[in-house]
Amino acid sequence: MEYKIFRKVKILITAFISATVAMAVVYENMILALAGVLIGLLFLFLVKKKTKAVWVDERIKSVGGHAALLTHTILTSVIAFLSLVFIIGGRQTDKLQIEALGIVLSYIVLSSLAIYAMSYKYYLKKYSDEDEE
Amino acid sequence: MKNKIKVFRAMNDMTQEDLAIKLNVTRQTIIAIEKNKYNPSLELAMKIAKTFGQTIEKIFTLD
Repeated sequence: MEYKIFRKVKILITAFISATVAMAVVYENMILALAGVLIGLLFLFLVKKKTKAVWVDERIKSVGGHAALLTHTILTSVIAFLSLVFIIGGRQTDKLQIEALGIVLSYIVLSSLAIYAMSYKYYLKKYSDEDEE
Repeated sequence: MKNKIKVFRAMNDMTQEDLAIKLNVTRQTIIAIEKNKYNPSLELAMKIAKTFGQTIEKIFTLD
């Protein structure tokens, strides 16, 4: 199957899912909505498998890498700032829950940085060979 | 970096889709390379050169 045909099939599947969800809302039937979404997604997955098209290439990977780095930077900075605010705010107002939340968030930031450092080291090692002269 | 992919594609009577299929990349990647918005890897550049039967220097030039 070609990519153009896949796009048409994708529109049809989306329409099917939308119709099913709309009907489920009208009849207040959650099972119908769930079944419609699941069947649609399953069908989409099968059709995508049959399609002879390239989904991921080096440009997509490069874009994904840049986006991931930006996301990590923004998310880590925001959570670190929030944890600081919660810890200081919690201590000043004597609210242990808020301080605890700040500590949990700071540990999340630390974990995120640790995973980033580990993966960075792994890829640095993978793409550099110091044995050769 | 500039390239003459569009010229060589026209000379070989190939569409962006044809070239994308031959190189195993998406059509959007070919568009991005042609518009100088994305610099391909050395491997992809060599594949492009091989597809057109040219050397890399004839297709890609530094500004």
